[in-house]
Amino acid sequence: MNFKPQRIRDPLHNLIEFPRDPFNEAMWRVIQTREFQRLRRIKQLGFSELVYPGATHTRFAHSLGVFHTARRLLKIVEDRLEKGAYDLNKAQRALAAALVHDLGHGPYSHAFEEVGKRLNLLMANHEKVTDLLIKEGDICTALNGLGSGFASDVADVIKKSGTASIYGAVVSSQFDADRLDYMQRDRLMTGTHHGAIDFDWLLSNLEVGKVPYGADKEPVGEIETFVLGPKAIYAAETYLLGLYQLYTTVYFHKATRGAEKLFTELLSRVIKLAQDGSTRNTGLSANHPIIRLAKHPDDLKCTLALDDSVISGALSAMANSKDPLISDFSERLSNRHLFKCVDVRESLNQKLGSKELEDSGRPKNLKAINPRKRTSKRPNSVVEQDLRIYALDRACYAAEKRLTEFANENSQEVPKVLVDTTERSIYKQFDESKGPRNQIMIRPGFGDDKPIDVASISQVIKAIAPFKVLRVYMEDGDEKTKVFVDQIIKEEAKRCRY
Amino acid sequence: MPVLNSSKSDAENAADIIRDAGGKVVGKTRLQKVAYLLEISGLGCGFSFEYRHYGPFSEDLANAVVTAQIADLITEDERTAWWGGSYSIFKIISGSANFNINAARKRILELGMKANPISLELAATAAFLANEGDSDPWAETSKRKPEKAEKWLNEAKDLYATLKSVKNLPKQLPSI
Repeated sequence: MNFKPQRIRDPLHNLIEFPRDPFNEAMWRVIQTREFQRLRRIKQLGFSELVYPGATHTRFAHSLGVFHTARRLLKIVEDRLEKGAYDLNKAQRALAAALVHDLGHGPYSHAFEEVGKRLNLLMANHEKVTDLLIKEGDICTALNGLGSGFASDVADVIKKSGTASIYGAVVSSQFDADRLDYMQRDRLMTGTHHGAIDFDWLLSNLEVGKVPYGADKEPVGEIETFVLGPKAIYAAETYLLGLYQLYTTVYFHKATRGAEKLFTELLSRVIKLAQDGSTRNTGLSANHPIIRLAKHPDDLKCTLALDDSVISGALSAMANSKDPLISDFSERLSNRHLFKCVDVRESLNQKLGSKELEDSGRPKNLKAINPRKRTSKRPNSVVEQDLRIYALDRACYAAEKRLTEFANENSQEVPKVLVDTTERSIYKQFDESKGPRNQIMIRPGFGDDKPIDVASISQVIKAIAPFKVLRVYMEDGDEKTKVFVDQIIKEEAKRCRY
Repeated sequence: MPVLNSSKSDAENAADIIRDAGGKVVGKTRLQKVAYLLEISGLGCGFSFEYRHYGPFSEDLANAVVTAQIADLITEDERTAWWGGSYSIFKIISGSANFNINAARKRILELGMKANPISLELAATAAFLANEGDSDPWAETSKRKPEKAEKWLNEAKDLYATLKSVKNLPKQLPSI
């Protein structure tokens, strides 16, 4: 077949080009497969469009953007490495991995994974599905057009298998192509003005460096990764702040999380009923893809038959279900008639600082506070802030326990309350789950000039406490539950005053 | 997974692991991997694990450790390792020692506390891959972690053999 060069117009990157050569031809074939085209029907941000109507962009567009960004990163790698050191084979594996890294996502991505966790659905794990798709079927055939074993090598890049190299950092690191694309794309498509990053400056200051790593106290060696030059410290801060703000304003938006909670309960109930032989109570036919998945949870084909459009298309049928939860939650998701949110943490935060508590609770009962905090040698204002956050955390912990008990006691038919907790740190110096590449290392430009962690030189990064969420969702107008929740907030605020 | 005490919260279960390990655990990797080995030998508390950079990892356990600090059950002291990275020391700060600890659980924890963290990571990774259906988990572990396997794989195999020989495990560790 005579491959014609291809171009795709992208709202973020403008032209994404596939010139005439065997590698780009293979990538173009990957894009034409049924499995890749399915990503057109999976929204990148799931329910965020309920808050930001423009955020209907798909994992298809994002995947193309990651591919394009990876190509730019690899050009930097090629430029920075010594002459002859650039390995084209490894670069192509990384580039292909960037294109296919999201293939396994299910409908409403992370909310679906939550259902999978709850019901132990093997195929709800997107990494597992991605791995299978790369190694089997049309994607595998298209990739292996570049040589037998190429598909398996691409799967290894995604699994971070093998000796860590800078090519892997293109696919998985603090400056990987995935994050560099989604931060900009999500900002553009939601229309939020938060989360801006200095993309070109970051890229022009990226270098290839080595970072020591180990497990606990034991050193292993060094890992090759991206390092920022000394002029990029503020761009690095902006980058981290930008991501943090996207979490606080977009990804953790209360309405989005509320819709996800309804979705998780809805889909869990449908699948459970189908598995228990009560399909007729779900409102769906025995042949519906959701029911087929429930009956064959380990079947890859059944998993791939699900996408956002299948779920949203099923809502009207499920709204007629005999099961009160299924009918109610389907109607709510269809019409954006969500549960009302009470931000418990924020309410406690306000109460902990209220005049009422000033009068009744202070000066502080320091014995109730974590002793480690009391011995701090930091300025009083910092200790005060730590104490406050600690008191708030304790109040949230106690409130969450009581709210969860209440939720469990009232979850038989339609849950009275749905409890939501999550958190996001602006930056973790080292994360056991993600490894050394998830550090941001900066060459300071002084002393021995060895790369150091951004957190050790940025006062901004050090100063920002994790964003924590404790919210409950309940039916609007359920005054009895509202009074109960308010009472818990009031009692725990009093109990945990500092 | 069997649950030792389903009435306890995740934070309490996380604190129990530290308590049963002698009141102190050095390293997040060590804590995660011993918790995984307890789970798959039927001596855990229901934490679910998935594959991450350092092998089997439980987000729930990681969160529970944070919550356990808020609840004043444990402390976490973060220190800098000589090679430049950081590591944590977890200590129990409330409750007395558990004198009714299951002997097999105690033995698994003892072995986990004594082991080199990288050998422990490799052993737990191989066990995880075996449970995922991998036909040659040691080979796959070596492929995924070549630098670590080069130096510590034999030690990991010895450790795993010792773990597997622990008597009265409610669930046998996979044969690999």
